[in-house]
Amino acid sequence: MKKIPVLLLLCSLAFAANAQNNFLLYSFKGNVTVVENNVESKAKVGRSLTAASTIKLAAGGMVTLICNEAAMFTVSKAGTYALKAFGDSCKVSSNSITANYVKYVWASMTKTGDAPGSNRKAYMNTVGAVSRSINNIWIDPRLDTVNFSGIGADFPLSWKSYTEAKDFEFKIFSIDNLTTPVFSSVVSKMKIPISNFASKLSPGKSYLWTVSVRGEENEEMKVLNYVTRETAAAFLANVKNQTAGFEAAAEESYRMGFMMEDGHYLPEAWQYYTKAAAADASNVLYRSTLMSFKKDYEIK
Amino acid sequence: MDHQEEQHPKGAEHEHSHPEKQPKQPAEKRPFHKHIGHHARRIHRNVTKYLYERDTIFATLWVFIFIFILGSIPLNLGTLNPIKLAMKDFDMNDLSYAKLGKGSDSGIDTNIVVINIGEAKRDTIALMIEKTASYQPKVMALDVLFDGPRDPLSDSLLSKAFKENPNLVGAAQYILDTGTHELSFSRNYFKDHVHNYGFVNFPADDKESIRNFFPVKKMEHSDSILPSFTASILKHYKPEAYEEMEHHGDHMTMINYTRRATQYLILEGDQLLADEVDGSILKGKIALLAYVNLNPYNIEDKKFTPMNDKFYGKSWPDMNGIFVHANIISMALEDNYVKKLPLWATILIAVLIGWLHMSFFIHYYLENHIWFHLVAKIGQVASAIFFVWLGLYLFDRYRLKVDLKLSLVVIIMAVDVIYFYEAWAVWMHKRFNYRTVFKPHHH
Repeated sequence: MKKIPVLLLLCSLAFAANAQNNFLLYSFKGNVTVVENNVESKAKVGRSLTAASTIKLAAGGMVTLICNEAAMFTVSKAGTYALKAFGDSCKVSSNSITANYVKYVWASMTKTGDAPGSNRKAYMNTVGAVSRSINNIWIDPRLDTVNFSGIGADFPLSWKSYTEAKDFEFKIFSIDNLTTPVFSSVVSKMKIPISNFASKLSPGKSYLWTVSVRGEENEEMKVLNYVTRETAAAFLANVKNQTAGFEAAAEESYRMGFMMEDGHYLPEAWQYYTKAAAADASNVLYRSTLMSFKKDYEIK
Repeated sequence: MDHQEEQHPKGAEHEHSHPEKQPKQPAEKRPFHKHIGHHARRIHRNVTKYLYERDTIFATLWVFIFIFILGSIPLNLGTLNPIKLAMKDFDMNDLSYAKLGKGSDSGIDTNIVVINIGEAKRDTIALMIEKTASYQPKVMALDVLFDGPRDPLSDSLLSKAFKENPNLVGAAQYILDTGTHELSFSRNYFKDHVHNYGFVNFPADDKESIRNFFPVKKMEHSDSILPSFTASILKHYKPEAYEEMEHHGDHMTMINYTRRATQYLILEGDQLLADEVDGSILKGKIALLAYVNLNPYNIEDKKFTPMNDKFYGKSWPDMNGIFVHANIISMALEDNYVKKLPLWATILIAVLIGWLHMSFFIHYYLENHIWFHLVAKIGQVASAIFFVWLGLYLFDRYRLKVDLKLSLVVIIMAVDVIYFYEAWAVWMHKRFNYRTVFKPHHH
């Protein structure tokens, strides 16, 4: 007789383990398809899906699902997802008013008052003016055009953010196709090395790149010219020949670095500034120029 | 006054008065449970020692007399009181939505589908109605007021949509005719073509939170009633729920908010017309066609509700009107009406709480006066925290709205009233030989 409750318990546990989650397609953006019973169809808002279904999300798309009429979650990364993998997203945490109340009272009573101005981000963000076409990303105008040949060292494309964003969406487009990026990536740092996507680029072509806080748009675009090695070598030879007379090695490197930077060959400029500082370590100008160059372009 | 006498007016009853009678036992040797029992007994004695004294009862009575007198002053003393002005639209239960996560685990109400008409004109709205109707919802409702004629073609299309859909509920506004004192519907140009309609007004001004609604409005000189928008919808969707709502009658009924906008299924009208919507989601459901904008910086048709993230001070309206209606429908379908404690019960609770606190305060006032103010202030804060929690808990767990504001006022006033009462009791003692535990002295 004692075995009956144990059996009932086991049956209940087995039933609970097999209970399938039901999903409801709440909203979507972009190209989203649903695969059910090996049949692929376009996503429709309000469609009920079982855990056996799969959703396919193209780049730039986003889909929001509701699980078991309770838990809502969003998928925004391109890919194919089996809904059975979202079991964890179906869990709903129940709220205890009493526990939350105790936490709230304790937090309120132990919080010390901040003086206005001590937290610049909290108190100084309210501006008394309208804004026009300002987005949350600032890209240094020095990066308006970058010539990259692959001869020099790797070089990062960097930016600054006005918000406390964690993720940034970097996209680079071919200049003749601004709809589909040749490369896109979500990064957590405020820079991306060119080597990360250089393999997607073709020498001799120009590209436009942009970066935005994840989920936002940024229409500001910067130019990246992937110049051929021959073009870069010709430019370098031209710069090298523009000497006025005798130059020490450090002097020549410094001039080369300066002129390469002026010509937007930033990776090469970095190399020459480094050479100059190494060749004459006692020269304050060479050292400070190298340091400020590295700071300006977020080179660590 | 003899201080020793003040501290031990009833010396024979006080535990420290006869230390030799109690066997001295080192504290560290006393078992833990006896420690707890000892302190519990002491607290119990602190609260109950003066509980049945006539002074405690009369002092409590004086608290209520003061509250009554202050409340009866015909001047609006709150005009210059920023705290009173700030608290005008404040309800303690708002805290549970804003800070304690109430409603966040309510789940989606699948009985209701909201269709966002956006900025659509009358002809597009007509198309949306027809498209929605093709998916066979049990009832449709259009939360839009139409003030007069516009483009004849658009008007005729919308008029046709109203006529051809007997399960469509239109919106109107009830107004009171100041001459005849009759209620009537207004602001619906298509009133004659709509099969059903209900009023969408709420009993609150634009700057206040919408906490209540009238289920129906009764005509003054007849038995006929004007149904609210939600009552009209429920009449078609679930007659039992309508009867329950009608039972609440022409009385302000508290709305039990359970869901924010994102906890309802929202379809975009454009997606609906472009066949990007799975129509089966609408079959047999309530389809609410209305303006929806989830952008917090867009406040068109947005109302202040108890679900606002900011529960005091200046804020922005937080919820489109249709979601207020949706919450009323959810409440009616789930039979989640809020029960309000009657006034007599609220007063009775305040009396009991005031009585207990007065007994506790008088004990310290007479026997440990040096600690009186400190203990009284700590007691007031602790009581405030406890009774706020109690109110929130009863509302969340049992949907019982208990107004404990009066109780909190009583606790706050009790301390000050003791000083007045002492003077009054001493004067009464001298004049009429009134028996009191207070003795004449000067502070």
